Amino acid sequence: MNFELERFLEAMFERSPPFILEHLQLVLIPLGIAVAIAFPVGVLLTRPRFRHYTGRVMSIFNAGQTIPPLAVIAVFFPFLGLGYRPAVIALTIYALLPIARNTLAGLAGVPLEVKDAARGMGMTEWQILSQVELPISLPVVMSGIKTSAVLTAGTAALAALVGGKGMGAVIFAGINFFRMELILAGTIYIGIIAVLLDRLLTYIEGCMAPSYMK
Amino acid sequence: MLEKLIQLHQIKKVFPNTNIPAVDEITFSIEKGNICVFVGPSGCGKTTILRMINRLVEPTSGNIFIDGENVLNVDSDELRRRIGYVIQQIGLLPHRTIEQNVGLVPRLLKWPEAKITQRVVELLEIVGLDPAESAKKYPYQLSGGQMQRVGVARALAADPPIMLMDEPFGAVDPIVRGRLQDEFLRLQQEVKKTICFVTHDINEAIKMGDYIVVMNGGKLVQQGTPMEVLSNPVNHFVKDLIGDDRGVKLLDLTRAESLMTAVTESPAAANDCFCFIDAIQPVKMALEVMMKNDSDMVGIRRGKNVVGTLSWADIKKHIHKISGDQE
Repeated sequence: MNFELERFLEAMFERSPPFILEHLQLVLIPLGIAVAIAFPVGVLLTRPRFRHYTGRVMSIFNAGQTIPPLAVIAVFFPFLGLGYRPAVIALTIYALLPIARNTLAGLAGVPLEVKDAARGMGMTEWQILSQVELPISLPVVMSGIKTSAVLTAGTAALAALVGGKGMGAVIFAGINFFRMELILAGTIYIGIIAVLLDRLLTYIEGCMAPSYMK
Repeated sequence: MLEKLIQLHQIKKVFPNTNIPAVDEITFSIEKGNICVFVGPSGCGKTTILRMINRLVEPTSGNIFIDGENVLNVDSDELRRRIGYVIQQIGLLPHRTIEQNVGLVPRLLKWPEAKITQRVVELLEIVGLDPAESAKKYPYQLSGGQMQRVGVARALAADPPIMLMDEPFGAVDPIVRGRLQDEFLRLQQEVKKTICFVTHDINEAIKMGDYIVVMNGGKLVQQGTPMEVLSNPVNHFVKDLIGDDRGVKLLDLTRAESLMTAVTESPAAANDCFCFIDAIQPVKMALEVMMKNDSDMVGIRRGKNVVGTLSWADIKKHIHKISGDQE
């Protein structure tokens, strides 16, 4: 494979940019769905009533992560066909585990005596969860979401294989046509997206975090 | 007659998956304005009793009454807001300032903000913290002793008539512990709360308690004033718990005036005294003064008048009387 600067610049500034928004969608939508599923499930699994389901539910999430995204797409192919939707589903399944696991770990890390004292002061279960447990476990929960975001940003490139578009389209075009410039440009943009997402989530966390952690 | 504020009636607790009850059919009551200390080894059920009073643990059978009202008929969260709760690990909310921690219960009770702010300042002063300096700090910025003070302030915040204290001074060093105990006893003179106090330290129990409940293996072994328990332990367990030095421990609880020979009985002896202590000071103090001055006798003063004398022989006779049955 050869490398020409002119073609690289063209790939960077003309061929790739139209795919940025598509790629962002492929990251943010599965990530949003994954948070909406894994976070509440993680919280529920730490409640006394549901605690004994933890092992079973977590093994489902674990399994979700061990299946290669391509295989997930293959499984859903008969129902959903090719394209955008199966890609989103595969990426969602992929993003679940780190969020669920960190939610569990974060809530488990809240010191027992703090919960005990809060209960002893007369806080209701809901007040303890919303005013004590969640604020204290926030950094751990957020780091799970960040892990998922970065993971999804990279994996989303595979969506192009099933017609899900995104920055993967640029990379796979590069592979098919032996154009190093396209592969490099696509990879750089995915890297930038991953870093910016991480920064963005860190910023959001900073706004939500109690001030003693700053 | 003092009012019985807290009454436990045949309280029993068997934790799930265990056969032996943690607390076995215990009945007793606590008078208003008293400090009642539960003392016993780890696992004797003292903490469980405390946690049943504010329903952090539900009894298997039996009833608990506060002010005549069965606690099982009260909403547990409402109940806990009316009872101060202090634990050894303190459990301050790490993400809230000292101000917010102390104002926690008033805020749950929906007091107006201005009243909460005022109350927090008042409480921090009461427990010996500078409000201007500490109110905006976070718990991790305080020392262990300061955190315990905040824990006590938080429990006092909504002015509950009852306080439950589970080894509240257990996590600090002996010097700070002694100081916190003294301050707390002084504070109790003003606030007159009804207090359930849990400790494994018999010395702390004797110092803090108006009334002592000795427990072992979930059973109530002996109850009574510190003086009653010390001078008349019911069995070997209580004797061992108190230690072989119970005669000397009693000297700390006995006022000098109760052992003295009145000046009217032997006026001549009073003239020989060259060192004196106050009538309400403990006998231990008399010993200290005697040793310091190399004397066998101290004079006992009430105000400026010498009212009696206390000699080494008097004290020895007293110790012998209490622990005479010990080898």
